[in-house]
Parts: sequence; structure tokens; C-alpha cells
Amino acid sequence: MNRRSFLKSATAASVASALPQRFALAAEAGWRTFETVTRVEIKDAFGTARAWVPLPLAMDTDWHKTIGNAWSGNARLAKIEHDGKYGVTMLHAEWSDKEMNPALEVTSRFMTRERNVDLSRAGSADLSVAERAFYTAPSELIPTDGVVLKTALEVTRGAKGDLEKSRAIYDWVVDNTFRDPKTRGCGVGDIKSLLESGNLGGKCADLNALYVGLSRAVGVPARDVYGIRVAPSRYGYKSLGTGSPNITKAQHCRAEFFARGRGWVPVDPADVRKVVLEEPPGNLPVQDEKVLAARKRLFGGWEMNWLAYNMGADVKLPNSKGPKLPYLMYVNAEADGEMRDQLEPDSLRYTITAREIIL
Amino acid sequence: MARVFFSIALAAVAFSAWCVELKPWEGGATPPLALDDLSGKRHDLAEYKGSVVLVNFWATWCEPCRAEMPSLERLRKSLQGKRFEVLAVNLAEPLSRIEKFVDGVPVSFPLLRDRDSTTSKAWKAKLLPASYVIGRDGRIHYVAYGELDWESAPVRAKVLELLQ
Repeated sequence: MNRRSFLKSATAASVASALPQRFALAAEAGWRTFETVTRVEIKDAFGTARAWVPLPLAMDTDWHKTIGNAWSGNARLAKIEHDGKYGVTMLHAEWSDKEMNPALEVTSRFMTRERNVDLSRAGSADLSVAERAFYTAPSELIPTDGVVLKTALEVTRGAKGDLEKSRAIYDWVVDNTFRDPKTRGCGVGDIKSLLESGNLGGKCADLNALYVGLSRAVGVPARDVYGIRVAPSRYGYKSLGTGSPNITKAQHCRAEFFARGRGWVPVDPADVRKVVLEEPPGNLPVQDEKVLAARKRLFGGWEMNWLAYNMGADVKLPNSKGPKLPYLMYVNAEADGEMRDQLEPDSLRYTITAREIIL
Repeated sequence: MARVFFSIALAAVAFSAWCVELKPWEGGATPPLALDDLSGKRHDLAEYKGSVVLVNFWATWCEPCRAEMPSLERLRKSLQGKRFEVLAVNLAEPLSRIEKFVDGVPVSFPLLRDRDSTTSKAWKAKLLPASYVIGRDGRIHYVAYGELDWESAPVRAKVLELLQ
């Protein structure tokens, strides 16, 4: 049996299924299973070529579980690597200088479950002193002093406790920023420049980074969560889901803050601004019913038609000669020591597809 | 156009799919492995001491895992009569799915079920296919992450060396 017919029969065999014990329980508890396939090709690869593909969140949570990752291609090396500081997980592939057509395919399977934190109920969740310090520390593009601190203090004036401060920052970001469709990719997340310029336009990596920076500046632990949308929205938002199985340009970053007694709380002010700009017919007023509903839902809830990659910042790619990245949400590659443009899937030539696995 | 491009790219990959090598293991002691096969029979790696064992972590959704399965079978058959065993550990899939797969690709070695992924996590088999070659001393000697031609001369040489 040749490889093609073997694969064909094997694929057919794998289509029919019944519920395994673990998945049956997962399905009952509201878990959905997805598969993403990332295909990468580095064109005109002179010299040693390398690629770094973000992988699903390594840790299991009550809203995400990674089942596994598989790879194929002509790389001489492919291994999972982790950024030491934040635990960013990626597949690092390397090709010898003799390989002129580096190609790679990465398949990931994972499960997600809706996130809705009941903010009215307080428990005993807390962070250690070290964790609190970690999640209130600045990163290269998210400082917590200067204009960021000044803005954060103004925004949270009169607010008491993590929850009130977070709410005030959320409302301020939603009311004062806008989604700029001209921003490349998801934005860079340079919040100091954003605030200093007075032009508060950007995309998710800008607006949610602003949320994170303002939170950290007033001592509320917060973090960006980088990922990609994998399915249409079940809540009727065309702008907050995928339109086709091709999700190559569907990267999306979100944010979380930590409230004592509640734990990590999901938020997404950038998506409220996306609804304003993009939800048909477009340019909705902030008092539009759809905007108000999104604004309410996205403080404390995430629809999990989205895959979380990581929560890292200032990411140094292993073996790369390039500078640190503000975050890892895109496929990155280099050849002969030269980085390819991560924000241009067409120039780097990669596609990402997603499908839900119905068990 | 994108479809054409990737068809060409993946065809190139298919023709040169054997870039993965067995590499010396540097990951420390062999983790325990005791799992049931498809019929419910328990297989404990500790009981295989004295044999060379190839532990292969796989899933039906993993294309390179499916692709290399026949070569695993051929390697095992070619070493029949020697103290060589293959244990293929499936990553948390339904029994019916595994059975349908082996209906199309029959294998003579045990297919074990890691129902909750605990074993694959202990083995750090995060990237499939993940294969570990264990010597007669019970230690892991070689590892490969990715599809491997198990009948290739370099791979056979390493396995035969461990069998001596």
C-alpha cells in the first residue's frame, strides 16, 4: 500500500468514532474538541532555515486542555520548546542549508470550554507574593510607570479593590480606544507610545495590552493571553468568530486580571471595540444592543471558539538571531539568519485551518 | 492558488519524509509504563526487561503516526524470533476509533490505551509520533519525535546493536 492510499484509508478509518471515557465526560461537561493544522513553507531558503510555530497552551485549565501535537515535514529537527519565563510553548523546526524547500505541517488537538466567572461569588483564590509581583511587573512594551501609571491612577480614582479597579479600566479602554483597521496584524502592543501619542487606535494586541498595563500599574495582576479564533461565534457575532475553516489571519489576543477571591477573570475590551467597528452593518454606536451585550459578556467571560497559545511577553525564539518578540502569536521563520515577516502569512507562506471534532 | 502551492509543498515533504533520526536519549530514567491493550490485558514495561522494546506514542488523528505504523510492523516481523517488542501507546482515543484504524492497518504488536494521557505526559511524549527505544537493561537508549522509516539501515543497525 503506498503512502497516499494508506493515508486515505487510515483517515477514513479515523472518521467514525465513539466516545472514549475521558471525552464522554468532557462532552457532558461542555467541552468542545478542535483540531488545527498549520502548514508552513519557507521560500527561497538559502542557508539554515528555522521556524517557530506557537502551540496550544501547555497547562491544563478548566477552560482549555491540550490533547496533543503532531508534526511532519522535511525538517532535520523538530522539537517542542518552552520560553523559560512564561512557559510559552512552540514547535521549533530546523532545516539544513541543503534543504531548499523547507516545509512543515503541525497538527494540534485540544479541548475548550466556555468561561464565565461569577463575580458576585467570592472564594479563597489568591496569588502568592511572588506571583503577584510577577503579574504586576512591566515588560519591554508594557511599562507600568510614567504615562501608564499616571493614566491608570486617573482612571481608577475612587475605585477600591482589584475588581472595582479592573472594571474602571475595562470601561475606560472600551470608551476611549478604537479598533483601527489599518493596524498591521494584531498590533505591536507598545502602550507607552499609544498613550503618549493620544491616538488610542489599534487592534487586540494594542488595546488589551493597554488594559494589562493599566491594571499592572495600579497593582492588579493581569496578563495578555495570545491565541487564535477557531470557530464561528455561537452568540451571533459575525465579527467574533471565523468565517471559514481557513483561520490563517484569525489571531486574537485577550486579557485576564486576578481578583482576590475570584481567581483569574477573563476580559476582552478589544473585542468590544471590534463589535463596534465590524459587526454588520458596521460602525455601531456604543449604545447598540449588540455592543452593550458584548460589553457585558466580555467582562468575566470568554466564548471559547478560540485557542489559547500562551501568556508570554518579550519572547526570545530559541536559536534565533532575531530580537525578542513582544509576543508569540504568529508563525515565525528565518533563513540564513534573516527573519521573515511574521505579520505577512503570504510572504512567509503559511496557512492555518481549524475544524471542530464532533465526538 | 494557495491550494496549489501547498499541494506542491506537501508533495515535496512526502518525498523527503525521512529526515527524522533516532537520537541518543538524554532525558534520564525510564518512566513507568503499565497500560491495558485493546482486549483489556495489562502490559507492564518492567516485565519486558531483557528485551529491546520500542515504545511508540501515536494517535489516529496524527498523519505521520498512521504513516509509520506499517514500517513498525515490518520491523517487528523482520526481527521475529529475537527479543524485540513493540508497544504502541494510543493517546486517549476511543476504543472504537482505534479498532477501526487497525481494521485497515492490522498490526501484530500490542496497542495500549493511555486513556487519560497520564503515561504520555510522564514520558514527555508531547510531539507525535514519539518513539523510545529501550535496551535490554531497561534504559531508554534512543528517541525520535516524528515519522521514521523503521526499516532504514541506520535505524535497524541501532536496534540490532541493542539486541546483541
